Amino acid sequence: MRKRLLGEASRRATLVVLGLIWLFPAYLIIITAIRPADSFNPSSAWIPSGHLGLWANVAKAWTASAIGQSLGSSLLYSVAAPLLACLIGALAGYAIVVLRLRHGFFWFMLIFGGTVFPSQMLLIPLFVSYAKVGLYDNRIGMIIIYTAISAPFAAFVMRNFFTNVAFSIFEAARMDGASTLRIFAQLYLPLARTALAAVFILEFTFVWNDLLFGLTLTQSPGTRPVMTALAALQSDVYAGTPVPVALAAGLIVSLPPIVLFLATQRFFARGLALGQL
Amino acid sequence: MKRPRRRLLTVAASATVLTIAALAGCSSSQGGGGSATPSAPLKLYNDKGAWTQYFDQVGALAKKQLGFGVTPVGYTDEDTYQAFVDASFRTDVKPDLFTWQVGGQLQQIVSLGQVQNTDAIWKQGIADGNLSSSLEPYYTVNGQQYCVPLNVSYWGMFYNKHIFEKYGLTPPTTWAQFLHVAAVLKSHGVTPFYETTTLFSFVWFQQLLAGTDPTLYEQLEDGKASYTSPGVVNAMKIWQTFIDDGYMSNPGLTTNPATLLQQGTVAMIPDGSWFNTSMTQLNLKPGTDYGFFVIPNVNPSLPKTSVLFESGPLCSLSGAANSAADTKFLTWWVGQQPQQLWSSSRGDLSANPKVGLPDNADLTSVVTNVRAGKYNLLLRYFEAAPPPVLNTALEVFANFMVHPNTLMTDLDQIQSAAQTYWASHPAGS
Amino acid sequence: MLLLEHPKVLRRSLPSGRRRRPPLLGRFRFGYVSPAVLLVAVLLYLPFLWTVYQSFTTYSGLGPTTWAGLANYRELLHDPVLLTAVWNTLLWVAGTLVLPVALGLLVAVLSFNIRGASWYRLPFLLPYAMSGTGVAVAWSIILQHGGIANSLLSALGLPGGGESFLLYAPQNTLVMILASTWQQLGVNALLFVVGLQSIPREPIEAARIDGASGWTMFRKIYWPLLAPLTAVVVGLSLVASLKTFDIVWVMTQGGPGTSSQTLAIAMYRDTFVADQYGYGSAIAVVLTVVSGLISFVYLRRQLGSRKEIGA
Repeated sequence: MRKRLLGEASRRATLVVLGLIWLFPAYLIIITAIRPADSFNPSSAWIPSGHLGLWANVAKAWTASAIGQSLGSSLLYSVAAPLLACLIGALAGYAIVVLRLRHGFFWFMLIFGGTVFPSQMLLIPLFVSYAKVGLYDNRIGMIIIYTAISAPFAAFVMRNFFTNVAFSIFEAARMDGASTLRIFAQLYLPLARTALAAVFILEFTFVWNDLLFGLTLTQSPGTRPVMTALAALQSDVYAGTPVPVALAAGLIVSLPPIVLFLATQRFFARGLALGQL
Repeated sequence: MKRPRRRLLTVAASATVLTIAALAGCSSSQGGGGSATPSAPLKLYNDKGAWTQYFDQVGALAKKQLGFGVTPVGYTDEDTYQAFVDASFRTDVKPDLFTWQVGGQLQQIVSLGQVQNTDAIWKQGIADGNLSSSLEPYYTVNGQQYCVPLNVSYWGMFYNKHIFEKYGLTPPTTWAQFLHVAAVLKSHGVTPFYETTTLFSFVWFQQLLAGTDPTLYEQLEDGKASYTSPGVVNAMKIWQTFIDDGYMSNPGLTTNPATLLQQGTVAMIPDGSWFNTSMTQLNLKPGTDYGFFVIPNVNPSLPKTSVLFESGPLCSLSGAANSAADTKFLTWWVGQQPQQLWSSSRGDLSANPKVGLPDNADLTSVVTNVRAGKYNLLLRYFEAAPPPVLNTALEVFANFMVHPNTLMTDLDQIQSAAQTYWASHPAGS
Repeated sequence: MLLLEHPKVLRRSLPSGRRRRPPLLGRFRFGYVSPAVLLVAVLLYLPFLWTVYQSFTTYSGLGPTTWAGLANYRELLHDPVLLTAVWNTLLWVAGTLVLPVALGLLVAVLSFNIRGASWYRLPFLLPYAMSGTGVAVAWSIILQHGGIANSLLSALGLPGGGESFLLYAPQNTLVMILASTWQQLGVNALLFVVGLQSIPREPIEAARIDGASGWTMFRKIYWPLLAPLTAVVVGLSLVASLKTFDIVWVMTQGGPGTSSQTLAIAMYRDTFVADQYGYGSAIAVVLTVVSGLISFVYLRRQLGSRKEIGA
């Protein structure tokens, strides 16, 4: 018993040390974002400034860019697309592993192959096609492309997750006369709660942080995602934005994913037993 | 979560998504026709996403004075912006107005018939004193003018006034004085000059060559001279000396140069006058905290001081639905009042010679001198060099800064890229 | 013997010849997979086919497209800049497998089954939430010549106190891998945690009854049963590291010169900066084919040997 506690204590200690190391760059970001805009000096960046400039920085960022308007669009894309992708991915994983789809590995590789293409090269053909079919600068168009990008990851995780679910569960439910769809919805999806949650929050963050697709496939303030507005502040040399202002904007924009991570912690707190029901 | 609730949630989510999307509207193609007062604001595509708020300000003024405004559609990456506009010519998603680049890029889209002619605007503009005839050649293709200047920036040296005053230095007017200033700073442990390997790695090259042999500089851009010719080598050798003597800042410094200047880490930063925006954003006062001077020629026997400039055109799409409104806007754009607003809001100069920066004497004097024809204006390397050559040159200059002893092999590399390019494109940039 | 054949892990194959009820696996199995296939095929594969076509042409973004046959590919084979890019990309692959993947596993294992585990993992997840530019700014401050990294190294008496990390290869690639690790580790840890939590209880209990513990427990029970999620993490990290673009672009743009270029950066520069769409597309095609092959081989080995792959 004592040996176990000791093991746990040293594990906690290692995690705390690693965690602190990991937090240091984040500390730099925060400390720079809250300092007054003209007090930034990279060689003393880790020393907090005496004055709080966060509100001024945020105000400057807010007026200099269209961040406010684009938050709504980003929220829509980051929620809708990963939800759809989780569903589609889970369906695909279910078909391949549980339903033992013919040539399952081939279909899986086909879906997985979607992650292999370098996204920069897809931009122009996608733009031209979207313009042709009227999906350009369109919220549905954005949701579709984000779902397509997110689906392979979801399918991959779900497919592999389902391999750890005992097949007997499926067989027993079939014996009871349940349809494959019902088994999916009532048995497999609930079992995969943690996997689905993990996929969702990771995909949410990915879509939220996307810049290129948003920049190329939209143009109106009502459809543009938030990173396009942020990029104008942060990476445009002609902007002349002081570093604290740019980072303050970055922090504000990063809040939704951070809040999401915090809020979903309890999903991963306990384990699941997949052999028992 | 129980099954019925999950199903309900999925249905509700889909319904919400569809409703929002339907309400959001699809790609707007408002057929405005040739009316001089369009039903919707003109779309102004640009690669200066950071200037959105300034475009909005001018747009508001336009709304008051013309009856319609502009909506800026800002991109932040010049390369993806260009690819996007190129691709948009093939689709129905086209800009009304868009920014572009002078030089070979402008010639290309003119040759494809994508741009509206602006002869009348230039004629009237020059007559009214709103446009400078020294800029006209850069907006002329095959004897006709296209587009109007979106902006003009002149390249020179921003310097930290406090440091200069501390060591009793004044802005140099000759090359000898320039070297003296650098030497004094260096002897006191201050880094005189700034250079960077990202994006602006061509700055010292263009400045030193333009100050030595401006004719050679122009010939390079047209493919009529070689990068390995003695004039170019000599200019590069000056740069090499600066690096070897420790006059240059560490080229890997990724800190915002404005911060470097403000903190006194570097005393002088060669940059375009648009860099002034960075200064004002940091609450620095011109004349008190910082100043600007035009870099003197290396070669004292040249009649005029070579000044590099950059200018981006604002173009209107030819055959656009709103072409009458586009032309009206462009004609209005070059006027003094819009340009004054445009200039002051950004803290940079304007293409309109009547417009200066009231609170910045250094920059205003540059405009005065340009108007008086005191400078030999040369186009910035970034626009003047053909893209494949530019791409190689940027990489090569960055490498040179880190390994200055590779001077000759570096120039050879650019020359071979240039040779490949000009072999398939007959001379003429 | 694989633990999957342990009698307590229930995985039975179908009894043959059962036809009395509707087929066990349902009739419309393909219907389940069709949304994913359709979406990916239309939105990802089709645009890529366009890139393949473009790789056989010469195109500057404007103006005419001229057919070039295999010229771009031939040029590719002789391009010295690409050689640097290939080396750097390989460095990224190796670095990504060693650091974010292995350390991610470590964090997942360390935090498994302790109270408040998810809070201990939070510092690793937060970096993923920050946008790329913020990450680049923070790390630029750290890696600055004369900055925090230099001071820390000198204070600890380690070499590198006067180093300009971002200026020289291979250091610049290595430190960027560090920055990327900072961002990605939490993701991998999270996925490994999902994998650990989905391991059925029976084999664990059985092994414990047999007296296994600690390292043996991990090696013989946890590790093999973690394999599905390990395949996810490694497979995705392989592909992502081959396509490395964002962090390099924001920190060094592939420079100085071409010293930190990766294949994706070279592809981007040639297409969008040098306006050589055909050549850039050829690089993209080669990159995709290589990534596809590597991931196919890896996944085939990891997943293809399992019994659950269908007929």
